Amino acid sequence: MGEAKPENWIRCDETGKEMLSRVLSGRPFIIPAPPLHRLALRLRNVVEISGPSNSAKSQVLVQAVVHFILPKEWAGIQFGGMESKVVFFDLDCRFDVLRLSQILTHRISETCGSIGQIAFDELFHDCMSRFLYVRCYSSSDFLSSLKELSYQIQRKDETIGTGLRLLLIDSVGSFHWIDRSNQLRGLCKGKNISPQSLQEAIVHELHELLLLQPLLVLATKASLFRTETPNEYQSTGDRNLLFREYMPAVWQSFVTHRIQLHPSDELLSDGSEPIRSYTSDWLQPSVSIKDRFIVRDDGIFLT
Amino acid sequence: MMDTEKEDFKSRLAPDVTPNRQLPWLTGIELLSDTNQNKHFLPTGLEGIDALLGGGLRQGQVTEIVGPSSSGKTQVCLSSATHVVDRNFGMVLYLDTSNSFSPFRISCFVNQLHPSLPKELKETSLQTIMSNIYCQSVFDIFALLDLLHHVETTLKHTVKLGGSKLCLLIVDSVSSVIAPVIGGKNSQGWCMMASVGVLLKRIAYEHNIAVLVTNHMVGGENGTLKPALGESWKGIPHIRLLLSHGTGNNRGTTTVLKHTLMASGRTANFVIGN
Repeated sequence: MGEAKPENWIRCDETGKEMLSRVLSGRPFIIPAPPLHRLALRLRNVVEISGPSNSAKSQVLVQAVVHFILPKEWAGIQFGGMESKVVFFDLDCRFDVLRLSQILTHRISETCGSIGQIAFDELFHDCMSRFLYVRCYSSSDFLSSLKELSYQIQRKDETIGTGLRLLLIDSVGSFHWIDRSNQLRGLCKGKNISPQSLQEAIVHELHELLLLQPLLVLATKASLFRTETPNEYQSTGDRNLLFREYMPAVWQSFVTHRIQLHPSDELLSDGSEPIRSYTSDWLQPSVSIKDRFIVRDDGIFLT
Repeated sequence: MMDTEKEDFKSRLAPDVTPNRQLPWLTGIELLSDTNQNKHFLPTGLEGIDALLGGGLRQGQVTEIVGPSSSGKTQVCLSSATHVVDRNFGMVLYLDTSNSFSPFRISCFVNQLHPSLPKELKETSLQTIMSNIYCQSVFDIFALLDLLHHVETTLKHTVKLGGSKLCLLIVDSVSSVIAPVIGGKNSQGWCMMASVGVLLKRIAYEHNIAVLVTNHMVGGENGTLKPALGESWKGIPHIRLLLSHGTGNNRGTTTVLKHTLMASGRTANFVIGN
């Protein structure tokens, strides 16, 4: 047992300064690309990006991917990227790799100016190999992919396990109707896996994954059920459309940050043709400033 | 017998609970090379629409055409079927829910394609084209789900031969089989719609097929028209195009409602030839 002096209880393990430096180096702040730039996010944060259809949610994810896969510095040129691996769970099955390659090409050309084709190809190849993609066609697929990812990380597998910093899910509500209908019908009853517990198992698995490896999780959620209520923001002229929450309570309590995107009715003129703008609104934690951004060929830009 | 029926029924409504699936992790490079090699653009035959789509209907994606009645949706489907077969991309499966498939219109399109051929060659080319378009009537969602499952199983187990392979799947119109079952408090209808969506996307991606579906319009708020099938359907197609009547006969305008690569809102005019 050793000495059990009362002084040992009061003696501190580390000072506040030491703790701060430990936490900041282990979980550094990340300033992601707009429109997520208002808050300094850290690893192990779970951000839910919600919005109706056609509100540029998937574009925000692609923008974040590019920010993470670019190197910090390459051949003397500063890119300011995170140089880490990214895993993308495509539950919606609508990801377009050509869009990712388009934005990445633009970013590299913009930063580098003119570099040789071979150098460009090498950099492009390096960046694209940091991007990992999985398609899931059902909730159980998603659960098994998450378990596989945990296993690979525990094994410290070279291809996936090491250097992973970002996990993207597009979109969490994709199987809402199928799971809900299965729950009501009582299918899968035999193996004691009800779809309600399927959702819980998914959140539990994500939670375990975050404990194993610090990751930033970005998930999009399509806002399906609209309820219009007038409220104090009506003075600006936009109706603040509220959407009914349909994700289960386990997911809602798992999420640490919420941002809502919305396509705005007005069109801005950007060069030749009018272009649609989008507004972003942080719901949790609530930020009073709403951002406005547009989506161009080379990415998302604030206006 | 009961067990297999139950399994069959379960698999229709709860897609894909396969415990030992090999999980394909793809890197960005592998995805890109797969897209460049296998996912080509199939022509619709209408220049305006092809230009708007960046080349045509893309294999591996689900394209939806929305429009009020008689805005040219079926014509676009028939034209795409003709052009795809004519240029030897492969076979076409046309799922017809409203008896709108017209062999006469196909022959008009073929005439338009090869106006200067002598009569016998036109006949043979028409025969070849017709033999590569498979038309099947479906009148309810259960038949549609059944057929799509059958198509998927056949595609999985067919050894790839040198000859023609299915490259375009048209469902005209998918909304007429889905609309009767959705709505109301019951979620079974929405579940079936979601299952159709998952199936179409899976068939498109795994087997490099372009899927073209049509949708009609319903009344929305303030008397304006909006696409049918609600908010949940919006998340299913990759690309959504809105057709509207044009100034003269056979003319129309297309607007992009949603696209994976380009901004929405772009328009183009198209002409459906005689």
